[in-house]
Amino acid sequence: MPVITDNIASLGYATPELVLAGFFLFILLADLVFTRNRGQMACTLAILGLAMTLLVTLRLYPAGERLLFAKMMAIDPFALFFKIFFVGSTAVIVLLSPATAYIPRTRQGEYYAFLLAITLGMSLLASAADLVMIVLALEMVSVTSYLLAGFMKEQAASAEAALKYAIYGAVATGTMVYGMSLLYGITGTTNLYEMPQAIARGGAAPLALFVAVLLVLVGFGYKIAAVPFHMWAPDVYEGAPTPVTALLSVGPKAAGFAVLIRFFYAALAVPAGPGRWNPVADIDWPLLVAVISAVTMTVGNLIAINQSNLKRLLAYSAIAHAGYILMGFVLLNGQGLYAMLFYLIVYAFMNLGAFLVVIALAGPLRSEELKDYAGLASRTAFPAVAMAVFLFSLTGIPPLAGFVGKFYLFAALIEAGRAWLWLAVVGVLNSVISLYYYARIVKAMFLEKGPSGRLTVASAHQVLIAALLIPTVLLGIYWAPVARFTDYSLRLLGPLAR
Amino acid sequence: MVTEFAGVLVFIIVGILFLAISLLLARLFRPHHPTPAKLSTYECGEQPVGQAWIRFNNRFYLIALVFIIFDVEIMFLYPWGAAFRELVAKNLGLYAFIDMVVFIGILLVGLAYVWRKGDLAWIKPQQRF
Repeated sequence: MPVITDNIASLGYATPELVLAGFFLFILLADLVFTRNRGQMACTLAILGLAMTLLVTLRLYPAGERLLFAKMMAIDPFALFFKIFFVGSTAVIVLLSPATAYIPRTRQGEYYAFLLAITLGMSLLASAADLVMIVLALEMVSVTSYLLAGFMKEQAASAEAALKYAIYGAVATGTMVYGMSLLYGITGTTNLYEMPQAIARGGAAPLALFVAVLLVLVGFGYKIAAVPFHMWAPDVYEGAPTPVTALLSVGPKAAGFAVLIRFFYAALAVPAGPGRWNPVADIDWPLLVAVISAVTMTVGNLIAINQSNLKRLLAYSAIAHAGYILMGFVLLNGQGLYAMLFYLIVYAFMNLGAFLVVIALAGPLRSEELKDYAGLASRTAFPAVAMAVFLFSLTGIPPLAGFVGKFYLFAALIEAGRAWLWLAVVGVLNSVISLYYYARIVKAMFLEKGPSGRLTVASAHQVLIAALLIPTVLLGIYWAPVARFTDYSLRLLGPLAR
Repeated sequence: MVTEFAGVLVFIIVGILFLAISLLLARLFRPHHPTPAKLSTYECGEQPVGQAWIRFNNRFYLIALVFIIFDVEIMFLYPWGAAFRELVAKNLGLYAFIDMVVFIGILLVGLAYVWRKGDLAWIKPQQRF
């Protein structure tokens, strides 16, 4: 029975997932057994679990490229990159949570357990190499997201966020699964890596294939919050507890990109030389995604202009950023992928940073509205300055990390030739629009007059803000190590594809 | 590939025809003597009371969810049990055993969770956990 021996051999490569699952159950159990300081204990265990996951993930380097568990999962530098990414972003959320008052004391154990569960789902998603595995992992991330979004269930906004999220999610997943069933009907396989040959062999009708791709794109588009599948994002981001919002805007979004890249580059593209691909059967999905990318950033940025709630504003900004990142996706070359991954790293630092400032100020300020940020710089200097840096980085102003990230994206587009020049122009115009609403926050904080009285931000939050501020500034000046790591992480489809 | 899906189409057509013909034949031959008792809604022999659109206690769903989890467990246990002897013969018995222990262990954590949280009681106790 080769399946079983393959499974046993695969376990050694699934250590990050095993550790996460173990700690998830352990936190749940510990929360049931002990009666005192349960929140603190769960938080400590979660940090311990994430640290161990990081450790075992790093031990998997230098990762070859292989398929695990009867070709259900793939392990390669690309997957490991995302696993480290998810552990890092969840760790920030876990660390910032104890000093906040969002989560009721009785449910803190569950909260930290769910944070590990969503990390587990995202890790699986980054590795998924089979349609069935993609659906399972995507659902694991989604269902946990619904729970986390509705964690303050006594508050109407939070309950509404969870319900809207669940309904949109169900429709998007249903559409995606339908598309996948069509793909299975066309190719006769659920394995991503077997699809290109199957399509080439079967001589599938291009229209049927295109419809299938379109339907699958709905599910992924929903996960990365790309227009027109973004409608859930503002309400969910506003209603959910802000730490959860911060995670949703980074973790599941990146997981969506991970599965998007693997799905399209493995199943719907054929290698055409080193670091270059061609769309399979001449289906023009790059153009389709390019249009989605342009519309996403434009809609996100234009609607963000009018927002008065910071979480909502950052939600639309997150939508716009999904559009920026998609620009690298359409190029079908290594340079585009490289720009995407690099931008995701940079985006994680600056976006988590911006949300972190909102979270840190929500306590003393008792507000997440833009109007209450007036005159903030004179009341508490450090978070205001940090916020300004994060926002300027999100705009892409040198010498901050966001600039380098955007530079790579635009450079990749322009080097790809005249065909994608229009997309680069749309991207640049959008960056200009985004400057307006980011600068509006900075103006409120530094130039407008507000109420007086000093605000004290929790010291844990100050430390965390500094921890995110340093890379945001540093990566704008010296990014060679991260660039090398990103470049190494691009190996996702080499031997596996053959 | 076309032939495979043609089978589905034939299946649908035959299904519709079968239903239509049998209902039509029944209509032609059956006696027709309606009484008030016959025309009333069937509710397990009880007198129908009120509308079906009422508010349910949502604990029904909770209990149903817990039930389904263990239903699925049986579904996995059965083929596992059927294949166990064969696995032992291939020296994989220990692996298969540990496999199932882990699986049931995960479900047991879930059971312990709903129990401790008071979700198995019909009237939920004041939340302490």
